[in-house]
Amino acid sequence: MDQPKSVWIGRVFVAALIVFVAVFWTSQLRAQYTHHARKHVRFWHMWTAEWKDVVDKIVDRFNKSQDEYEVEALSVPSSGDSKFILGVLGGDPPDVMAQWSPIIPPWADANLLRPLDELMSPEEKRLFDTEAYPVVKKLGTYKGRLYGLTTGINMWAIYYLPDQLRKAGIDPDHLPNTLEGLFEVSQKLNRFDKQGNLVHLGWAPDNIQMFTPIFGGSMYDRAHSRLTIDKPENLRALTFLVEARKRLGFENVVKYTSGLDMNSASGGWPFIGGAYTFTVDGQWRVEQLRKYAPELEYRTIAVPAPVGGRSAAGWSNGNFMIVPRGAKEAKGAWEFIKFWSGLTNPNRAAEFYTWGGWLPLTPEITRSPIYQAYLRKYPQFKTFVDLMPSENMEVLPPVPFQQYLSDQIGKMEDSAVRGTLTPKKAIEGLQTAVDQEVSRRKELGYAQ
Amino acid sequence: MGYLFISPWLIGFLVFTLAPFVTSIWLSFNRWNIVTAPVWVGAANYRALVANDALFWKSLFITLKYAAVAVPMGVVAGVLLALLLNCNVRGIAVYRTVLFLPSIVPAVASSVVFVWILNPQIGLVNALLKRLGIIGPAWLADTKWAFSSLVLMSLWGVGGSMVIYLAGLKDIPVYLYEAAIVDGAGPFVRMRKITLPMLTPVIFFNLVMGVIGAFQYFTQAFIMTNGGPEESTTFYALYLFNRAWRYMDMGYASAMAWILFLIVVVITALLFRTQRKWVHYGG
Repeated sequence: MDQPKSVWIGRVFVAALIVFVAVFWTSQLRAQYTHHARKHVRFWHMWTAEWKDVVDKIVDRFNKSQDEYEVEALSVPSSGDSKFILGVLGGDPPDVMAQWSPIIPPWADANLLRPLDELMSPEEKRLFDTEAYPVVKKLGTYKGRLYGLTTGINMWAIYYLPDQLRKAGIDPDHLPNTLEGLFEVSQKLNRFDKQGNLVHLGWAPDNIQMFTPIFGGSMYDRAHSRLTIDKPENLRALTFLVEARKRLGFENVVKYTSGLDMNSASGGWPFIGGAYTFTVDGQWRVEQLRKYAPELEYRTIAVPAPVGGRSAAGWSNGNFMIVPRGAKEAKGAWEFIKFWSGLTNPNRAAEFYTWGGWLPLTPEITRSPIYQAYLRKYPQFKTFVDLMPSENMEVLPPVPFQQYLSDQIGKMEDSAVRGTLTPKKAIEGLQTAVDQEVSRRKELGYAQ
Repeated sequence: MGYLFISPWLIGFLVFTLAPFVTSIWLSFNRWNIVTAPVWVGAANYRALVANDALFWKSLFITLKYAAVAVPMGVVAGVLLALLLNCNVRGIAVYRTVLFLPSIVPAVASSVVFVWILNPQIGLVNALLKRLGIIGPAWLADTKWAFSSLVLMSLWGVGGSMVIYLAGLKDIPVYLYEAAIVDGAGPFVRMRKITLPMLTPVIFFNLVMGVIGAFQYFTQAFIMTNGGPEESTTFYALYLFNRAWRYMDMGYASAMAWILFLIVVVITALLFRTQRKWVHYGG
């Protein structure tokens, strides 16, 4: 049967549209690179919104500085980890990726990552070994090899609101210098309604990984490469957190904080609205407060040591660059990592760190005029920078089942601060879970 | 020629269903981290699961508990709603639509909505309870309440089975009721002696599908609680997913999947055996 003319016109239109879209799309693909003669380096990262703009600015600077390589940045905010794995398995990985998940031990064991020390010149290796802050080395190293170079490490410290202290008759310029003393002061700012529900929080300390080093403990013995979960200092740290929570009421804190967007990366962060007076948080909040609450009076201090504990201690994680096995432009990737991290040119990279409000890789970067100017402008940031040289900063233990361990540590703390288990039982429970996992992995023949 | 026409489906079935299904049997006897080549470990995955993994047993128990509570609750709620919506009242089509609509809302969207509804501080449920003078629990954030919250939430999607019950009710011959009325049977007796027995094939169908669905319960737990607090909502499928993709242990997860499959087969077979005693297929 003959088709009506309109049907044929419709078909031709659809076909033309498909061809147009295909041509447009492929031309867009080609247009991603401006310098076709250069070697192309594919860079994946997980930043979005204003953070992505900062990344694009750094990439742009790199591309302008180069005549050999051109970096193309691609934001893969969701499922970045699995995309990376599939990329490596499919033989088409990015050349470099910025990561922050606990992936170095499992991915290194699975031969997904190329050790960065393979790409370093002897001079660069020497520079890293002698110059990089201790915690930077801890974070990126696994079984003696460097797999991740940090471009923005995270540190935690106390943020507090002096105005709330003044209103409560407490002098914010003379706070106690022990953890116990500071906690007692913070509890004077708790407010309850008639039913006993919390309506304002002074401070509810949490994060066992942050507090174990402060109490002199650690979850990992680097000298002997073994987990040390049941150390008495770890128990002391957990007991402190549990006792603090007990005073506020286990359920009270859960209910109060459930109505607050604690992870807000904008003006909705409850600290800005004064929902609590003290909190332990990361250095990136300084940048957030600059953007969303420039008028807010706040201060930062390192978490003070408890009696018999360690000062300038705490927990750290951060952003680091990895190069996958099978990267086609590994050398270009390393050039880009060096450029951003400032390993060989600290003065140039210092500016990038200030754009993102990131902590530096080496003291050289910290000393650079640009970074010093930034610290003068935002004195609250200095608290975090001052923690960098400390040997007392710990990272997640570098074991092959790092993600599992991290989940179990979280579960242990949760059970303890809810009052389900005593701190001792919770630590024992964590030890049992880890022992079971180790034994399971041993039985299955996984790397230990 | 017939095979040619159904080849898209056949290829899809072979590549995306049968092949992974068969491969997963082999993988369950291997150690495989997705990245390196699988290594044969015999029955080690199964041994480790049974003898050396407390969370395996805990997640299995949570899932069984969910199947035992949420499925019967869903059947009762679905039948009751269908009975109500079988009445001839004005605007019944609107009521049916309104009660059916939640079941077609994607699970992810309804999960996000329920996270807000059940928020202890600013959620709708606790706000309503407060008006009645009751201080509501922390729901999803409370170890004692998180599981129950998910069970209660499962009623949100009862509209899907309700429509099937409604179709079953419409299928019951009217002459049975007429004969019963002539014999002097009241509404309760008609319900007990005619409606429910005649509805049992549909109840049986929904029960089997409900049990299978309960053992695959994942999305809500993944989005709303991520297994917490204190693993109180770590359902089997969620733990399986974590083992596969979070801890990169695909061989172990495949063994878990096969154990789950066998459990579902056994329970379904048991249900089929019991149907002779309580399911009535009319003539």
